[in-house]
Amino acid sequence: MAKKNTSNQALLSGNEALVQGAYEAGLSVACAYPGTPSTEILETLAQQFPDVDVQWSVNEKVAFEVSLGAAIAGSRSLFACKHVGLNVAMDPLMTASYTGVLAGFVVVVCDDPGMHSSQNEQDTRWVALYAKLPMLEPASPSEAKEFVQEAFKLSERFDTPVIVRMTTRVSHTKENVSIGQREVPPRPQFERNIPKYVMVPGNAYQRHILVEKRLGLLKAISERSRFNRIERGEGKIGFITSSVSYQYLKENYPEASYLKLGMSYPFPDDKIKAFAKSVKKVFVVEELDPFLEEHIKALGVKVAAKDPSFRIGELTPDLIPAVVAGKTKQEAKSAKRKPRLCPECPHWATFAALKKLDLYVAGDIGCYTLACLPPMSALHSCLCMGAGVTFNEGWRKGAPDNKKIVGVVGDSTFVHSGITGLINAAYNKAKGVILILDNSTTAMTGGQQHPATGLTIRNEPTKKLILEDLCRACGVDHVDVVDPKHLEEFRTILEKRVNEDALSVIIARHPCKLLRR
Amino acid sequence: MKNKVCSITFGGIGGQGVLKASEICAWAAMFAGYHVKKSEVHGMSQRGGSVESHVRFGKRVFSPLVPAGGADFLVCFHQEEHPRLQSFLRPDGVDLTGYLEKAEKAVENPRGLNTCLVGVLAAKLPIKEEFWMKAIEAVFKGKGVEENKKVFLDGRKIGES
Repeated sequence: MAKKNTSNQALLSGNEALVQGAYEAGLSVACAYPGTPSTEILETLAQQFPDVDVQWSVNEKVAFEVSLGAAIAGSRSLFACKHVGLNVAMDPLMTASYTGVLAGFVVVVCDDPGMHSSQNEQDTRWVALYAKLPMLEPASPSEAKEFVQEAFKLSERFDTPVIVRMTTRVSHTKENVSIGQREVPPRPQFERNIPKYVMVPGNAYQRHILVEKRLGLLKAISERSRFNRIERGEGKIGFITSSVSYQYLKENYPEASYLKLGMSYPFPDDKIKAFAKSVKKVFVVEELDPFLEEHIKALGVKVAAKDPSFRIGELTPDLIPAVVAGKTKQEAKSAKRKPRLCPECPHWATFAALKKLDLYVAGDIGCYTLACLPPMSALHSCLCMGAGVTFNEGWRKGAPDNKKIVGVVGDSTFVHSGITGLINAAYNKAKGVILILDNSTTAMTGGQQHPATGLTIRNEPTKKLILEDLCRACGVDHVDVVDPKHLEEFRTILEKRVNEDALSVIIARHPCKLLRR
Repeated sequence: MKNKVCSITFGGIGGQGVLKASEICAWAAMFAGYHVKKSEVHGMSQRGGSVESHVRFGKRVFSPLVPAGGADFLVCFHQEEHPRLQSFLRPDGVDLTGYLEKAEKAVENPRGLNTCLVGVLAAKLPIKEEFWMKAIEAVFKGKGVEENKKVFLDGRKIGES
């Protein structure tokens, strides 16, 4: 086997490689809320690059706005999230497309095909189309590094946020990546610019004209981009593909021709048409939705694509032959061991008490969602961040005779988006018990700090959010703080509050055992 | 092994150090001059679920995942996971599960099982000892480096037996 020069190489994950690339490109500010598979982006920055200003933000909307603001003020900035996190930041994202940036601004979104650790498998590529933003799709860690550097350049040149769309298999694959030097570009002068940054209707109309013009310019870039690469093979088959699907195809069909789309929006229509003409048969192979397929078919290019059953779940090298053969997906039963709550987890005690009272438990996103699994089966909904609080209210309205409804939410999740639901409940005279399962960390993603831990992403002391004071300020009738491992005391308070006609918060506080490691 | 990609599947359950083991292997292959890809999934690894990690190295590697029936080596950390993981192995692939019991007995601290099994694997791979040592230095910190080097060499002896 050929030996490569290994100097200045490191084995980096896609997330780490992206950070390395952004750092070398002069990244100055980065914000995120933790979410698998994107979490290591900010963690790596915090641990390895002290000269970058990084933060765990309260939620993705806040993270997006702070990092976009930094870009508008003149510093290269980055926002990172998982696919569902981008939903929370959609409001600023859609209008950021109009305002544009000053210094480069990169929006990193990590999708989770196959839902290794997510509540849905939405395909972020539609967001590029919807928000009219350019999108780069790396297929490996080394591409993640290269693409993010290009993303900063595109962002500045075309005055636009740029989406870098990763997936679990790109974010969490490790590969040899070459390490380079950091170069911080000169900081452009921050200026007041009302027509550009104040999106009142008249200004926004003018900006929309520029957005459409920008899309045309970016399309020309996409046509020429070396990231949209044609590889001539020997066979008659040509594949149009992107992201990690490319790797799986190369494994199965090394002889075929390829149009590998690294800049997949705007679409390089002419290149697609020319490629299709040059081969006898064209297959589009992509994970999740028919994003490329539908557009290419609309161009009038005759292509074969996967059976719709393969829009569900991730692709793997094993599935590729069936995909290309046009077969239907055969659902295999997984023999994988399911995750469960850790043996000493305080949530066990909490949910044992809830189960004993035979309650309807509105759940939320976190480790405690695992309480839905048998034999516990004591959590009865999981929709999105914050819905544990709001479903208590909604269920009570929808089933007015049922008094056995409670909501649960984690401490980090409560700060992320539970607080608005609690204010809503108090304001609208809702009743019931909200349990804040306070294990003093963001446990599911590996234990990140948040406002109520009193420590920053770099573990520096900061102003600590006092949850009980916050809940009282929202106007709830009773706030109790109890350790769920004090079983009798916890059960007594829970039973008392459940039987009252009031709005209560019980903060079930016991630190996650992973914190002590 | 000439011009061929070597594929290894590591598997066990959360908390056994499966990812650390594949990490050592991937760094060693990189130091030895190969193109390496290693896949893993985060998020559930500390919750007792199945954990799987794939390492592939060679002149040029495309897929980070080992296809079913594509692994040259299987390093299994837990007997109960073996039936599931076996499907990754090539018909002529090497199953190292036979060394699991010996490795479990050889390590004083169960946390060393991962490095011990890497030692077993190293006995079968065309990667020189210096690169394994360098990999252990890259992956562990402080006194963990020396401890793991010792456990690695014990494992290697088991692999050579």
